[in-house]
Amino acid sequence: MDESTKRLVQRLMRRIPSKMLKITLEKWGRLTEKQQREIEAVQSKRALTEHLLSFCEKNELGVKRLTELEMIHIIDNPNQEMWYAFRLSDPEDDARSVDLMQFKEQFKSHIRELVSQVSVKIRKHTDEAVWIRIAWGDTYSCPNHLKPTYVVHNLQTPYVFVTSLTSKKKLMLSQALVLSTRYQSLKDANLSGRKLTAIRDLLMRQYQQVFPTKYPSPLTERNQTVTNPHIEREQAKPAERRLQLACEAFGVGMLPQLQSAVYKLETKLRDHTDRTMREREEPFRCVVKFASTNLLESLKNCASSGIASTPVTPLLSSIPLKGKNYFVITENGPGPSSQMS
Amino acid sequence: MAAKSNLSGSPDADLSSLSDRSLSSRASNRSLRVAEKERRKNDAEDPFVLALKYFSNVEAGTPVHGNDEVEKNLVLVERAAYSKGLSPEAISVMLEFAMSLRMGSGICPRVLKCLIPATVVPQEAVVRAVAWLGVANIPVNTQILFIKWLLTVFDLIDAKDQLRAIYGFIFNFTSEENLCPFICHLLYLLTRKESVRVFRVRKLLELQSKLGRQPFLLNLLSLYKVFCPELVTLSIPSQLKSVFRNHNLPWKSALTVVQRRNSPQVASSLNLFSTSKHKTTSRKRKHHHLGLAMLSSAVNKEPQTETSRQLVPLVQLHSVAQLLENMHRIELPAQMGSLLGSSLGLHYLDCVQDESALLRLNFWLGYTLQEELLFSSDEGSSQSSEESMQFLDKLLSTQHFLQEGFSSSEAFLYKFLSVWDGSVLRPQILGLLSNIPVVPSSQIGQLLFEPLMQLFFTSSLFFKCGLMESLNNMLLKWLTWHSVYALEDDLDISLNSHTSINMTLSGFKDSVMELVDFVGRLASVGLQLEGCHSLLLNFILDFYTTVCDMFLKYGLPLVVVPPPGVFYPALFATDPVSVDRLAFIMHRYKVNLTSAKSQEKLTKQAFRISRQTFKEFNNYAVFMVNCLWNAKLIQPGMSIQLGEELLLKSNVPEYWKSFDLIYHPAFMSYAVDFHQKCWPGRKDMDLDSIKHSKPWNWYLEYLFNQGYDGLKLFIQSNTSRQLTAGDGQGNSLSTE
Amino acid sequence: MSLLKPFSKLPSLNTANILLVESEEQFQQSLADVLVEETAFTVNVRLAKSLPLPKENEESRPRIDLVVFIINLTSELSFQSAEASLKYLDPGYLLGKVCFMVTKARNTSVPTERLDAVRKLAAVLSCPLLFAEDQTPDGVTNARERLLSILKVSAGLVPMATALYLSNLTRCTVPPDIDQPSFD
Repeated sequence: MDESTKRLVQRLMRRIPSKMLKITLEKWGRLTEKQQREIEAVQSKRALTEHLLSFCEKNELGVKRLTELEMIHIIDNPNQEMWYAFRLSDPEDDARSVDLMQFKEQFKSHIRELVSQVSVKIRKHTDEAVWIRIAWGDTYSCPNHLKPTYVVHNLQTPYVFVTSLTSKKKLMLSQALVLSTRYQSLKDANLSGRKLTAIRDLLMRQYQQVFPTKYPSPLTERNQTVTNPHIEREQAKPAERRLQLACEAFGVGMLPQLQSAVYKLETKLRDHTDRTMREREEPFRCVVKFASTNLLESLKNCASSGIASTPVTPLLSSIPLKGKNYFVITENGPGPSSQMS
Repeated sequence: MAAKSNLSGSPDADLSSLSDRSLSSRASNRSLRVAEKERRKNDAEDPFVLALKYFSNVEAGTPVHGNDEVEKNLVLVERAAYSKGLSPEAISVMLEFAMSLRMGSGICPRVLKCLIPATVVPQEAVVRAVAWLGVANIPVNTQILFIKWLLTVFDLIDAKDQLRAIYGFIFNFTSEENLCPFICHLLYLLTRKESVRVFRVRKLLELQSKLGRQPFLLNLLSLYKVFCPELVTLSIPSQLKSVFRNHNLPWKSALTVVQRRNSPQVASSLNLFSTSKHKTTSRKRKHHHLGLAMLSSAVNKEPQTETSRQLVPLVQLHSVAQLLENMHRIELPAQMGSLLGSSLGLHYLDCVQDESALLRLNFWLGYTLQEELLFSSDEGSSQSSEESMQFLDKLLSTQHFLQEGFSSSEAFLYKFLSVWDGSVLRPQILGLLSNIPVVPSSQIGQLLFEPLMQLFFTSSLFFKCGLMESLNNMLLKWLTWHSVYALEDDLDISLNSHTSINMTLSGFKDSVMELVDFVGRLASVGLQLEGCHSLLLNFILDFYTTVCDMFLKYGLPLVVVPPPGVFYPALFATDPVSVDRLAFIMHRYKVNLTSAKSQEKLTKQAFRISRQTFKEFNNYAVFMVNCLWNAKLIQPGMSIQLGEELLLKSNVPEYWKSFDLIYHPAFMSYAVDFHQKCWPGRKDMDLDSIKHSKPWNWYLEYLFNQGYDGLKLFIQSNTSRQLTAGDGQGNSLSTE
Repeated sequence: MSLLKPFSKLPSLNTANILLVESEEQFQQSLADVLVEETAFTVNVRLAKSLPLPKENEESRPRIDLVVFIINLTSELSFQSAEASLKYLDPGYLLGKVCFMVTKARNTSVPTERLDAVRKLAAVLSCPLLFAEDQTPDGVTNARERLLSILKVSAGLVPMATALYLSNLTRCTVPPDIDQPSFD
C-alpha cells in the first residue's frame, strides 16, 4: 500500500464521524463480517484507522474501492461541503432522451479527452440524481484523490450542483457536461450554500409556496391558536397581512436553508446633500452580505414581524423567486429601478 | 504505593521533608503525581505529544504557507486546547513557539488564542515570553494580545515571584503608548510595597501629563499611594470611575468550558478550603485560593525569594495563634477573592489596618460584581443565577463577619437597584441593602430612596414587607455603629474603621432622620394601598420599635414619632397584636421622652427634642387613652377632627364607644369571652356591664393575662388604674 | 390621527383593562398569559405593536386603564417605536395611566446612553419606569405582579388611591449620575 492510499484512508477516517462509521462501512460492503465486527469493537479513531489500513491491505482494496467509500459517505452527508449551482441552457432536440448509460459513457469519454489524468466515478443515487466524483490530475501528475470534485446532476433537469472547483477545471467540466447532456452551455446560477438539498429544493421549487390571493387564505386558520377571550390583539389584521405577504415572498413550512445572500452594488449615491459623492463619475461599490443559519426563515421573520417593510422588496424576494443568492446590482440608466443580473 | 502508606498512616520517607505541609496537600500532591504518571504513559503514542514535539523542535524560518504539517499539528493542539485545555508543559512549548516568532508573526495570534490552560500556567514560560516581548520584533497587536492573555490567566500562573522580580522590566513597557493600559493592569496585579519607587512614580506622572488623566494610570497610582503615601502627593478621587476593563473575551468562553469540564478532578485533587463558587472566576479562584505555596510545591518549585524575605503565605497558617505570630509578615494571596472563603483571612483583614489588602479586595469585588452579576442576565441560565446567589450569600456572610460593608459592594448595589426588577436575587439584594453604611443625607435620596420608593409602591405585599425589614435592619446597623464609634469628646464618629469618611453627629442625625421619615412615608401610603394589611403593619411596627428606643438604647438624641398614617391604622387595627404593639411603642416613646427631658434639665446640654415632637406624642397619647380607656372618640382640640353630624349620619349607635377596650374590633371577642366567663348564667349579653368598676378591673386583668404586655405597660404608665373607666385621665407629658 | 383617550368610555364593574405596546411582540404575549390569570378582578389585555390602534376596533375596545410600553433595551428600534407611539396617546393618559417596562437592562450589549434616554423619556412624562427580567419565569411573574399593582390603582379598584396619586410616588426622575457618588 502506497503513501497516498494511506493518506486517503486517514483523511476518510477523519471525515466520517465514529457513530456513522459502522453503517457507512456496511453499505460499502468490502469488509468481511469478521472484520466488520472487529471494527465495531474499536473505540478510538486512531485505532480504527489502523484497523482499516490493515484490512485494506489484506483484502487488497485500493484507491478505487476507497473512493467508493468516500462517495457513499458524501452521498449520505451532502451537507458538509459548499455547493455551487449551475444551469444548463439551450437544450438540443435530443436532450430529453439522454439516459443514464448514455450519459455515463459520454461524460467519461469526454472528460478523458479533455484531461489526460483524471479519475471519474459515477453513481446513481436513489432519488434520480447522478453523482459524479472527479479526481483531477494534470499531464504530469496522477489524479489527486484528496481533493476531488463532486458533481450532482438530475438527468432531464437543467441543474448541476458542484463542489470545490477552480476556474480552469470548471471550463473542462462544463464542456464535458454540455456535450454529454446535449445542451449548449453551462451557466453559473449564482446560488450556493452548504446544504445541497436546500439549494436543489430552491431551484426546483420543492418547498411549500404561497400564492397571492384576494380571499382569506387558509393561513389564518392555521395560525389561529386557542387564545384567552380576555386577550385581544389590536393589530391582528395587519399582522396577518404581513405574514401573508411574507409567506407569499418566501413560502411556508420548512424553507430551504440558505446560509448567506450577497449583493454587490455598483450604483451611484443619490444623496442630494452630499455633493462630492453625487458628482463622482465612478459608481459607488460595496458588498452587502446577509448571513444566517437559515437565511430565508430569518428574512421571512423580519417581514412578518414588521422589521422589514412589506410587501417585501424585490431585492429580498428575488432570492427564492430567481433561485439566486448572489446579485450584482448595477446602474441601468435613469429611473428608480435598479437592474439586477 | 503512596496511597497505601498514606492509608496505614505509617511515616514514610517523604513525610519528614514535607512535615511543614498539611496532610491534605500531601495527599493532593500524591494524586497529582499518580495522575501525571498515568498521563505520561498515554502520551508516548499520542499525536498531540508529537505535535508538541514538532513545535518545540521546528526550525526558525520554516515557512507557514503551504505547510501542511504546521496546519495539521496546530489543529491537533487547538482541538486539545478547546476540549480539555493544555497542560503546563504544552503551554510552555506553545508560548515559546509563538513568542520566539520562529515561523514568523502571522501564526502567532492563532497560537495565543488557543492557549487555554487545563490546570496552571508555568511561571517560567511567562517570564520567557515577557523576555521575548523585549527582544523579538512582535507586531503591536500581537503584543497586546499576549498581555491580554496574561491578564486572563494571571490567576492561573503557578507562582509570581519571578514575575515580580522582573517588575522593573515590565514597567519599562509603559512607555509604549498602545501597551500602556494593559501593562498598567498587569503592574496593578503585581505591585507590592517594594516595587513602589520614586522614579516609577515620576514616570507615571510624566505619562499622565502626556496622556491625560487616564483611569489605568490613576488606578495604578492610587495603589502606589496606598503603599507609599509619602511618594505620591497627587490627589486621587476616592471613587475611581471605572476599574480596569477585562480583556478575557477571546478566551473567556473556552476557559469556562474547559474549567467546567475539568472541575470535578480539580476539586478533588487540590483540596483547598475555598467554598465560594462563582462562575468562570470560581475555578480560577479555586486553583489559586490562597494557594501560592501549596500549588508551587505541588509542581516542585519552592519559591526561593519568598522564604528569604520571610513572608508567610496565608495558606500555611491554620490557627488563629499562628496568625497572630506571623501577623507582621503575612503574604496576601494572589487572588484576593479567596479571602472571602477563609475565616483566617477574614480575621486578618479585620484586625490589620492594612489599606492595601482592603483596597485589593475591593478592587476585585467591584470588578466581579460588575462583570458577573450586574450584567449576567444575557446568559440567564438557572445555573448562573444559582452561582450568583451563592456568591452573594458568601459576600453577605463576610460582611456579617467583618460587621461592615465594602465600598465596592455598596456602589454595585446602587447600580443594581437602578435596574432591579424587584425579584431577581431578592433576599441577597435586600441583605446587601441592610448592610449599607450610613449614607450622607445629601445623597441618600438619590441613591437609595428614589429607586426603592418606586420598587416599593409597584411591588407585591411581600416585597413591601421584605423592604421594611431590610430598612429596619439598616437602621439597626447604623444605630449600632453610632453607639460603638461615637467619640464622646467631639461628637465625631468614624463610620467605618477602614475608610476615612467621618461624619459629624448632626450629619448622622440628619441621615437617620431622613431614613425614618422615608420609611414613614412608605409606611403610610403602603398601608393605604394595601388596605392596612396586618402583615405589613407588623413589619412597620417592627421598624418603629427600633425608632422609639433610639435615645435610650443607642444614645442618639433623636426622637421621631410615627406619622398619622401609621399611628391610626395601627390603633384601629382589627388584630389585637398590632394594637398591643402600638401600645408598647407608645410606652417606650414616653420612657425615652421622659428620660431625654430629665437629662436635658440635668446637663443643660445643647441638644433638645423639639416641642413639636412632644406635642405630637401628647396628641397621640391623649387620643389613644381617650379612645381605649375613656370611650371618647372625638375631643375638641385633637389632631383629627370629624364632624359630629357626619358620625351621627353613619347610624352607628353610641359611636364614641366603638373603639374602647370593649368594643374595639380587636378586643370585642375578648370582651364577649370575658362576659360569658364572668356571668355564665346570663342569657342576654350586655357588654356595657363590664364598664362597672369591679368587672372593669377584672377585665383588664383578664386582657393582660392574654399576653398583652404592651397594653399593660401603656395603661399603667398613662392612666391611674384605681379610677374606673370613664373618669381615668390620660396624664400626658407636658412640653415644658 | 386618532388619539387613544382615557375617559371616552365608561368603566365596567370589577374589570381592569391593560394595553401592552411592544414593537417586538415577544414579551407581551407571555405577560398577557399570566396577567389574565388574576382572579380577584377581570383583567382584559389588549396587545399592540405600536400606536395608533386601528379604528375598526374602537367599538369593541374597552376603556384602557393602563398603557404599558415595553422596551427591549438591546434594540434601538424598540425604543424608537415606543417613542413614536407616544404621539397617539391622549395627554390624559400621562396623569398616571402610562408606564414603561424595560427588559434586558442588565445585558452587556446595552449602551448606557440608551438607558439614559429611556429614563429621560419616562422622567419628562412623569411616568414610572419598571425593569423586568423577561427570560425567567420568576421574572415574568414578578412583572405581572408589579403591573397588576399599578393597574389596580389606575382602574380605580383600590379605595382612596388614584392613578395620579400613585404615579406621583413612583414616577421616574432624571437619571442620577451614580457612577460617581462624590463622597468627598
